[in-house]
Amino acid sequence: MTKRRLAAFFLVIALSASSSALLSSHLQAQQADNRAKQIGGKFMCMCSCNQVLTQCNHVGCTTSASMLKHLDEAVARGESETEITSGFVQEFGTKVYAEPPKSGLSLVAWSLPTIYLLLGTLLVVFVIWKWRRVMPRAATVSAVRGISAQDLERARRRVTQETED
Amino acid sequence: MDVFGSFALLLAFLCAGYAFVGGIFAIRTRHPLLVKSARQAGIATCGLIFLATASLVYLFFSDSYWVSYVVAHSNRDLATFYKIAALWSGQEGSLLFWSFLLAIYVFSVLLVYRNKNGELMPYVGVVLAGVQIFFLTLNNFVASPFKVLASTGANGTLEIFTRADGNGLTPLLQYPEMVIHPPNLYSGYTGFTIPFAFALGALLARYPGEKWIHLTRKWTMIAWCFQTMGILLGAHWAYAVLGWGGYWGWDPVENASLLPWLTGTAFLHSVMMQEKRGMMKVWNVWLVFTTFMLCILGTLLTRSGVVSSVHAFAQSSIGNYFVGFLLLIFAVCFVAYLKNRDYLKSENQLDSMVSRESSFLFNNLILLVSCIAVLSGTLFPVFSEWFSGSRISVGAPFFNKVNVPIGLLLLFLTGVGPLLAWRKTSTDSLKRNFGWPLVIGLLAGVVFFALGLREFFSLVCLILCVFVTSTIGMEFFRGARVIRSRSGASFLASAVDLTMRNTRRYGGYIVHMGMVLIFVGLAGAAFNRDAQKDMQPGSTLQIGGYKLLLQGFDSKVEKNYTSERMIVEVWRDNKPLMMLYPERRFFQTNEQSGTMVAIYSTLREDLYVVYAGQNPETQAPVVHAYLNPLVKWIWLGGLVVVLGTLVTLLPNRRAVLVLSGAPERAAQPASAQTLAPSVALREGHD
Repeated sequence: MTKRRLAAFFLVIALSASSSALLSSHLQAQQADNRAKQIGGKFMCMCSCNQVLTQCNHVGCTTSASMLKHLDEAVARGESETEITSGFVQEFGTKVYAEPPKSGLSLVAWSLPTIYLLLGTLLVVFVIWKWRRVMPRAATVSAVRGISAQDLERARRRVTQETED
Repeated sequence: MDVFGSFALLLAFLCAGYAFVGGIFAIRTRHPLLVKSARQAGIATCGLIFLATASLVYLFFSDSYWVSYVVAHSNRDLATFYKIAALWSGQEGSLLFWSFLLAIYVFSVLLVYRNKNGELMPYVGVVLAGVQIFFLTLNNFVASPFKVLASTGANGTLEIFTRADGNGLTPLLQYPEMVIHPPNLYSGYTGFTIPFAFALGALLARYPGEKWIHLTRKWTMIAWCFQTMGILLGAHWAYAVLGWGGYWGWDPVENASLLPWLTGTAFLHSVMMQEKRGMMKVWNVWLVFTTFMLCILGTLLTRSGVVSSVHAFAQSSIGNYFVGFLLLIFAVCFVAYLKNRDYLKSENQLDSMVSRESSFLFNNLILLVSCIAVLSGTLFPVFSEWFSGSRISVGAPFFNKVNVPIGLLLLFLTGVGPLLAWRKTSTDSLKRNFGWPLVIGLLAGVVFFALGLREFFSLVCLILCVFVTSTIGMEFFRGARVIRSRSGASFLASAVDLTMRNTRRYGGYIVHMGMVLIFVGLAGAAFNRDAQKDMQPGSTLQIGGYKLLLQGFDSKVEKNYTSERMIVEVWRDNKPLMMLYPERRFFQTNEQSGTMVAIYSTLREDLYVVYAGQNPETQAPVVHAYLNPLVKWIWLGGLVVVLGTLVTLLPNRRAVLVLSGAPERAAQPASAQTLAPSVALREGHD
């Protein structure tokens, strides 16, 4: 290997190393950004706009700006989600949760819809079961022949009513 | 004019009182003159409310800055267009506007049925007058929009004074949709008073049969349609004005509008069980009661400050009146039900689990579960504060997690329900109706998956959308094919003919199709992207396939505000596509700012660009861009829903028997057939 080739080889290695270092720092920044976005989506903005922190776009909202900055710093320090959450709750109270935590009283909020659905489904199934009637055996031909014009007309009216729409 | 308005409101209150008390006496004595006078008092009440509302509008247009409400919500430079919107922008005016819309409904009902349903109408009139009395009490004694500015003079007397100009309208409301969104929503809220009055009236009068349901069907459809439009226009307003990139934030006030819509939708479906099979009478009556009570609850949430919301009116004690009214309504409904429950006895019989009836039961279950889940989530912060002393917020992530699966179940039933037969659906019918739609839906799923769609709920949603579209399409196809084979008309003409022959059924399908389009739009939300950047002229921002090039800024001075505009050139595939102008407006009168979002909307996606202000550290202008797929489908879906609802309101075109003279046939022997007049079949409207 000539000197020139060796120099070129080291140059390529150096370039690759520096570019991968640059890329990795960019990726790290992007990962941190994504993580901040993901965690920020779990908090409410405290400017009383009733929006999720990462979605608050109140013109001139200083609250969300400072909260997001605080969040970015915590993410940059490598704090865990639990640590960040407890920090925010300590500062702003439980109002800061965008969704109730899955513990304590808040479990009620999470479990209620499922309970409604289960109880409702049971109720509907019970109602259907209760309302189901035993179907009479199919009428015989002779019985059909014996039907009066009045009954036939009533049956026709009912069929029309039940099948029109 | 303020005195005239106040006087008209006071007279309206007295007339409503007479309509209520006189109506009760009329019911007891059955004296025709008393019945007539109570009805006419009801009509006079409405006329007086119209006059009072016209007075307030006049006060806005004439810049009467001695009236407190006009000062608070208008200014001289406010565009004429928005002076109308100022009517409902505050607590007092919006309550008068509520009374006004209710008066339109009451006036129409009293006029349309003035010579009909003599047994029922006095009861309906009393209920309507009762509701009007409540709102007129608020208009007159609690939140009068005609209060004037007054101060105590040197000699201790009150002196009216005039301000040079008003405070102006909130910037967020200075947007064209704000002129049409609240009237639509309020028309929905107030419209549900009519089915409520008929249901309660029929229960009190023990009015026989299902006639009250036939009488109120169109009124309910109209109220439901307005509520739907109101909700969607509100969503569009939030999307285009608030600048957070979304259209539905599960805000308590948004939720409040959704609650009666959900129960109203449940009622529109379950009522068919009563019409067709005489079933579920108790359920239907309570669904109407609940829908009306939820309208009042929604108003309570918006106006009392119980829950925090950007949309809410200022915190006030007015909520106590609504709580009292709500309790009173519940007590009246409950007592009326207890006393007359035998009237609601019905023959509840089902032939099969797989039937239209069962699908309606499940449809009602899902809608009600969604309603209760939204209600409990909305009120949970209040309850958590009561029980634990600390308020726990319930935001959009919670509601999305809870309601997305429920919505998908509902979408599934939208496809399945209409194709199930009444009483019992045979296996053959199931295969015939659902075979192809299932295959098409699954195939679509495979295609979506192959195209890289991996988001579970969105994938399921889109598969269901294809499935439901197929079921609806096949219904139209089968029916139109039969008509085409008989008439020889084109397929489209046959489909239109089919729709016009049974507007309720096929109009319903069109409404369902609109809901499918809305769900397609909602499915896109999982793929929203956004990017934010500090930008200087010449710098670019890449989002998806678009490149935003900031060309510069300009500013303009309008009558009511000054505006700073970003000039953004949009590039796609290395070609300039269009210019966008997101702007920030500053309203001098009330010293508030607002955004105007710039949107490039296509069926595929919306490019949504917000001028998000200045970076507090660098003072550089910030652009926040969003790429929101399929949003346009939501607004298109809304239009289709409205179109479908209008179709359901049309009368059916049906085959009518027309008698005509028979041509003489000399050689034909006399028979029963020739003696009877011949019958010609002709198409016509009923």
